[in-house]
Amino acid sequence: MSQQGALASLELSYQVEQFYYRESRLMAQREHRRWWETMVHPDIHYWMPINEVRFLKDKRPDPTPDDGGIFNDTYTDLDDRIKRLETGMVWMEDPPSRIRHLISNVEVYHTDDDSKLSVYSNFHVYRNRRQRDEANLIGGREDVLIRDGEEFKILKRKISLDMRVVLDKNLYVFI
Amino acid sequence: MVNVDNLIDLDNAVQSKNIFWDQDVYDQEMENIFGRSWLFLTHESQIPNPGDFFTTFMGEDPVIVARQMDGTVSAFINSCTHRGNQVCHADSGNARSFVCSYHGWAFGLDGKLAGVPLEAEVYYNKLDKESMRLREVAQVDNYRGFIFGCFDAKAPPLAEWLGEMAWYMDSWANTGGGAELIGTPMKTILRCNWKVPTENFIGDGYHITWTHVAALSVIGGPLGEAFSGGAAELPPLEDMGAQITTRHGHGFGVIWDVGHAIHRNPQNYVEFQQQTLPEVIEKQGEWGGKMYTGHWNASLFPNCSFLYGTNTFKVWHPKGPHEIEVWTWTLVQKNMSPALKREIQKEAIMSFGTAGTLESDDGENMETCTRTNRGFQTRKGTMNSSMGLGVEGRHPELPGVVGSNFIGETSYRGFYRFWDEMMRASDWDAVSKNDDTWVERWLGENAVSHLPASQAA
Repeated sequence: MSQQGALASLELSYQVEQFYYRESRLMAQREHRRWWETMVHPDIHYWMPINEVRFLKDKRPDPTPDDGGIFNDTYTDLDDRIKRLETGMVWMEDPPSRIRHLISNVEVYHTDDDSKLSVYSNFHVYRNRRQRDEANLIGGREDVLIRDGEEFKILKRKISLDMRVVLDKNLYVFI
Repeated sequence: MVNVDNLIDLDNAVQSKNIFWDQDVYDQEMENIFGRSWLFLTHESQIPNPGDFFTTFMGEDPVIVARQMDGTVSAFINSCTHRGNQVCHADSGNARSFVCSYHGWAFGLDGKLAGVPLEAEVYYNKLDKESMRLREVAQVDNYRGFIFGCFDAKAPPLAEWLGEMAWYMDSWANTGGGAELIGTPMKTILRCNWKVPTENFIGDGYHITWTHVAALSVIGGPLGEAFSGGAAELPPLEDMGAQITTRHGHGFGVIWDVGHAIHRNPQNYVEFQQQTLPEVIEKQGEWGGKMYTGHWNASLFPNCSFLYGTNTFKVWHPKGPHEIEVWTWTLVQKNMSPALKREIQKEAIMSFGTAGTLESDDGENMETCTRTNRGFQTRKGTMNSSMGLGVEGRHPELPGVVGSNFIGETSYRGFYRFWDEMMRASDWDAVSKNDDTWVERWLGENAVSHLPASQAA
């Protein structure tokens, strides 16, 4: 990640927040393809590491992208996931899930590269399926956003899910 | 004690739906099946050094598996012998002792009670520490690095427990330096009975053509091409693979020649297989080679499953009759380069990891197959697994009972045959006495596999 610099202005922070809200709305509307086309950078690294429960004194290094990750995706990997949803043959999504993203605690920082922003945010993703099947996924994200004209694109996203045992049947959801 | 006499009808290949719901059946399973079977714990590669430990479950019992200073592996119930608190709360690590967070009792790597705070002052040195060690798992052993534990001291040795299944597993577990599991396991929950995913992995070639059609169509490759057009476009099924079940309920389905099929860019993996194939053929003949290059969906009785080829290795830990924890590792061969292992791990997680494209196809089905049995009238009914009944049996060259087609339910039937036997048996002696006659008792005197002997060529 680029070196973290000064806190972004109110206006820039507002733009980033609006970017996240739009992203969340696209997810709720199942507009994954539009999200991928308009908000994701072709060099993206979209990553959710697997976090073990370890003792504080444990000296082993934190997970890296060379370890297995629940997501460890490139632009093409994300494309494959979306293509699957687009086949119309994903029976688990027919009838579709209801998904809502709540994004908060957005902190936007400049970096030593003028084109990039370092952004922290928290998420609460609620997934409700079929009649009464539900999951609450809560955690934090560390993003690198890259400026794209008046817009941004996600260049890096590290998702830290605050669960060891994922309390749902899968995580086929973009966070 | 629950009446287990009429839960499985072997002749008609049906099972009572109650076995997926009933608490009494589940409690009996904990005693007769999880209390007597060899259960997968971890792999040698996960605890390589003295002091390394890994915490897991045997049934619902929490267990610590620890590498001793002499290099051997022991396992203990993760519960303090004083007031029962869990003594280790980490997934894994390296330790010299396990100290209970309640009163500070310290247990050595060997499970012995080594330290008791204020021992002289409050126990007046009358505490018999030797008898207060962590309860040891009666048997711990490994088969080609896969470590199993068994609570029953009278159970047959691990190699015998795996039996005919071990010959098949050897095709990859004894090739390319042997197999190992990499990474810390991913963990999810499924609100299903533990037998539902076990039976799915042990023998469900059928659902691949429907449940997974979306993911396979994106992956492409031989399976994607075969199945994404629908069953009408399948090549002749008799030529595509086989199903096998063995004495102790372990079994698998294999699709010939497409071990790599769920990898999106399998070139490096295929190259490794081709380089190591002569080694298998030398040790186990053409049939061994056929197994090595095939894709397997497999389960080891009772609750460990894997997909050889897709490199996914799973344990289904029961959490009551209606919920399990799913633990998922990546299965690779030791002699693969670090780069190839990483490549395979990424693909294995992309398909059958927590966010996997095929993993997420299955969960809903497994949960609903369980939950419908909440219905009182529903669970008076039966589950059917009669596909391929009557065209399975002994094969001239392959061990176990061999079904004639990878889409069949031979290994389902074999799983429930042994489940039934374990649930009825009073102890291991009652099981072992059937070792020589299990096939005849089950299928009659003359059951032969219709799988052509010539397929190995």
